[in-house]
Amino acid sequence: MSRPLSTVLAALAVFALAACSDKPPASPAAATPPASTSVASQRGDFGPPQGEPIHAVLTSPPHVPPPIHRNYPAKVIVELEVVEKEMPISEGVSYTFWTFGGTVPGSFIRVRQGDTVEFHLKNAPDSKMPHNIDLHGVTGPGGGAASSFTAPGHESQFTFKALNQGIFVYHCATAPVGMHIANGMYGLILVEPPEGLAPVDHEYYVMQGDFYTTGKYRQKGLQPFDMEKAIDEHPTYVLFNGREGALTGDNALTAKTNETVRLFVGNGGPNLVSSFHVIGEIFDKVQPEGGTIAQHNVQTTLIPSGGAATVEFHTDVPGSYVLVDHSIFRAFNKGALGILKVDGPEDKSIYSGKEVDSVYLGDRSEPNLKAVTVAAQAHAAGTLTKEEQIAAGKQLFTGTCSVCHQANGEGLANVFPPLAKSDFLAADPKRAMSIVTHGLTGKITVNGHEYDSVMPPMSQLNDDEVANILTYVINSWDNPGGQFSKEDVAKARAEAGPHAEPEH
Amino acid sequence: MKHLLPVLALLAALFGGTAAATPLPGDSVYNLPVQLTTQDGQRQMLAARRGRPQLVTMFYTSCQMVCPMIIDSLRLTRNALDPATRAKIDLLAVSFDPAKDDVPTLKSYAEKRKLDPRIWTLARAEPSQVRQLSGVLGLQYRQLPDGEFNHSSELILLDAEGRIAARTTLIGRLDPAFVKAIGETVNKP
Amino acid sequence: MRVRLALAWFGLMLALPAAAAEYVALPGGTFTSVLPADGKAAAAQVAPFRLRTELVTNGEFLAFVQKHPQWQRDKVAGILADARYLTQWEAPLVPGGQALPRQPVTRVSWFAAQAYCESEGARLPSWYEWEFAAAADATRRDARADPAWRESILGWYSRPSSSALPEVGGVANVYGVRDMNGLVWEWVDDFNALMVASDSREQGDPDLLKFCGAGAISLQEKENYAVLMRIAMLSALKAADTTNNLGFRCAKSN
Ligand code: HEC
Ligand SMILES: [Cu+2]
Repeated sequence: MSRPLSTVLAALAVFALAACSDKPPASPAAATPPASTSVASQRGDFGPPQGEPIHAVLTSPPHVPPPIHRNYPAKVIVELEVVEKEMPISEGVSYTFWTFGGTVPGSFIRVRQGDTVEFHLKNAPDSKMPHNIDLHGVTGPGGGAASSFTAPGHESQFTFKALNQGIFVYHCATAPVGMHIANGMYGLILVEPPEGLAPVDHEYYVMQGDFYTTGKYRQKGLQPFDMEKAIDEHPTYVLFNGREGALTGDNALTAKTNETVRLFVGNGGPNLVSSFHVIGEIFDKVQPEGGTIAQHNVQTTLIPSGGAATVEFHTDVPGSYVLVDHSIFRAFNKGALGILKVDGPEDKSIYSGKEVDSVYLGDRSEPNLKAVTVAAQAHAAGTLTKEEQIAAGKQLFTGTCSVCHQANGEGLANVFPPLAKSDFLAADPKRAMSIVTHGLTGKITVNGHEYDSVMPPMSQLNDDEVANILTYVINSWDNPGGQFSKEDVAKARAEAGPHAEPEH
Repeated sequence: MKHLLPVLALLAALFGGTAAATPLPGDSVYNLPVQLTTQDGQRQMLAARRGRPQLVTMFYTSCQMVCPMIIDSLRLTRNALDPATRAKIDLLAVSFDPAKDDVPTLKSYAEKRKLDPRIWTLARAEPSQVRQLSGVLGLQYRQLPDGEFNHSSELILLDAEGRIAARTTLIGRLDPAFVKAIGETVNKP
Repeated sequence: MRVRLALAWFGLMLALPAAAAEYVALPGGTFTSVLPADGKAAAAQVAPFRLRTELVTNGEFLAFVQKHPQWQRDKVAGILADARYLTQWEAPLVPGGQALPRQPVTRVSWFAAQAYCESEGARLPSWYEWEFAAAADATRRDARADPAWRESILGWYSRPSSSALPEVGGVANVYGVRDMNGLVWEWVDDFNALMVASDSREQGDPDLLKFCGAGAISLQEKENYAVLMRIAMLSALKAADTTNNLGFRCAKSN
């Protein structure tokens, strides 16, 4: 953040002047928040639709349809198709999502306040389930749900007038509602005020959701929905845009320095409330619930389940900014993590970069973040060379295996066996895949010394990562050499665990 | 239920020689062979009503709550039509409850409610055919343990060929849009 | 593929005359349905009945439309079957590679299913009959309290329907009936009785039960989720509708 420059465009003149003075807002006048930052705080019925009907542009997340530059109410036709399909929810993990438009969250819809929306809900012939849609932007019983109940291979149509401006959640409301939502049936509809939104450099669509699978976090394969966990509100995943990695690595959101970014942030739930935060940014402006009273200088904003907010900020310093649900275990242990990558020249007057580098073992967030980036790289690693595998594996080894086996692979006498020149490892290198994925307990002998201890399964690692680590290990410290593929690891993971002393 | 197959053949034979020079449109409810018995004990195929537009509904006579209103709504709607239009349509109400609504019951109900038999046909059908008729008309019903029925209440306009031309769920009051639709359908050139 | 397909159909033709549909007797009785008979709490009464052990297959339905041409997809009246009716078949009398003889027939309307059952001297089962039979597993008549039973149903909901349908002939339940859960949706005779509001006489809004909170009204136990979703599905249908995952089996009264 964040000279409040970005707010100038949107805010009232008086406030903008005060904020622009580049002084901390100490004067009482400036400290008083404005009553409203939008002229269109009223409900708006601007009469019957005019002109030719318009077909709404729908976009997949994280993209947002272009702003509407229209000064009259129109008839807008929205065609949204419900598709049930299997998609990855995490690396090597797939899930049968129920979607509006083939994505989670569903297609972004953008209309103007006062528009008459002719809504067509289509349910793909392949669908198993009937579905409907409840738009929180609709004034009328059920938000359209009753009028849109649609069997597979059918289409429903209903029409509503978008009376209230704001950013609204839509979702499926077919019983059991919680299950339809948990499977991904939600999205956002933006009802622009008649004067439009202030221009910004980037608009993005981010929506959080919680997911419940019978398997554990990152357990591989097709994972079915777990009703029990959903009822207990114990999600396996908490995600932005329906997939771990939807907003990291190559999929990260992008901006340049000195730009304004607007995020439309929704929360589909079904259960959790989001404490939405961008690490390293301060939101210049948050318009919660599409309401008309904006909050300024916000660190973390609450997005209720079934709610949404518009969040704006200015980019000053290049780097990777991490989007999280600041209920922070969800970010680092359940997937609620995204990246906004800001490119541009450094500005040391705002942020110095690292001035001191000293060891502080209590701080775990830094290695964790690195691991995320590395994981994203390893994701594309299917075609990587052995050398690249070793390089990736080396990074991962540090902070994972090195905690016990030590960075030099020597282990700790009598506690953690060595990986360096380990005869146990050399005797059956393949067994190592099984050891890492399933763990190892019981008596073993390594280089003449007995160990009788427990290595827990490293289940936080995906197949790619295990393959890279072991390729690194087997090619280091005079070990015999070789290579592991993620397919081999997947196989080992699927099989039963290793026995400490198979001979006995 | 016993009749869906053979009666189709019968129907073809029946119409082969009579009025039906033109084949029935595929979206006509008259494609469904339903055997009705009227309040006068007359047996009549539903498809025999082809040729004149019909206002159709389903009800049952022992119903105390909505059904009297359904009949009233039908009467109200008919009275709201101009005389020329009124003369061109028939009214048909089929019972959800064939077990209780036998011919004498229908007859006495018609008399009690002063339903002119030249205008009104109250009818019953075999249980499986009642279900089929509700299916083709898009109505829902369910018998409760106490003998009452839950059911959707609608007035349905069939054009002369038996196609559903309009419907209303407004019961107990006049639905002007429905009245307008009747006028347009009946007087279509 | 072609040859295998031809063989499959040829084999079927040979087998057909012998293979009359098998029905088994079910005892019926008082039954706690997810749909209380009175809309509140009353148990359902199910009279003893007989149920087809297997779903009706493409092979069987082909024989039916050959005998009753008015149910061929190019001849059927639109009000009795929608435009998707049997469109997975290669031609009106050729099921082809997308519809193998032992796969359950789908994309059939309620009217067509009724007519088929009639041709077998049978009828469609009522919802209560169907639910009664589906409550069983391989060893118990009422396995509904077992989470495994529920999970197996929910598991099917979780599988996308992009791959080909399995053939009929899954594991028999304790009555000898197969594939009640986990293969396709099935028509029931009184499908349009399922979601009528239990008190439409006062509220007059049958739609109310079709969505959201109202769907949860009758949802006292979470065990009911799995079965209620089937009801939600059936209640979304009109009698002429067909869908890719909707088939049927027949029943007979004792
Ligand atoms: C929490 C401590 C811990 C971590 C972290 C750990 N290990 Fe181990 N590892 C052990 C222990 C303890 C044993 C011996 C188990 C026994 O006694 O049965 C072991 C045994 C092994 C062995 C077989 C014995 C040998 O020395 O050849 C291999 C191979 C191995 N670990 C590899 C790894 C790799 C690769 C990683 C990182 C992905 C890793 N371990 C992470 C504690 C750990
Ligand atoms: Cu849904």
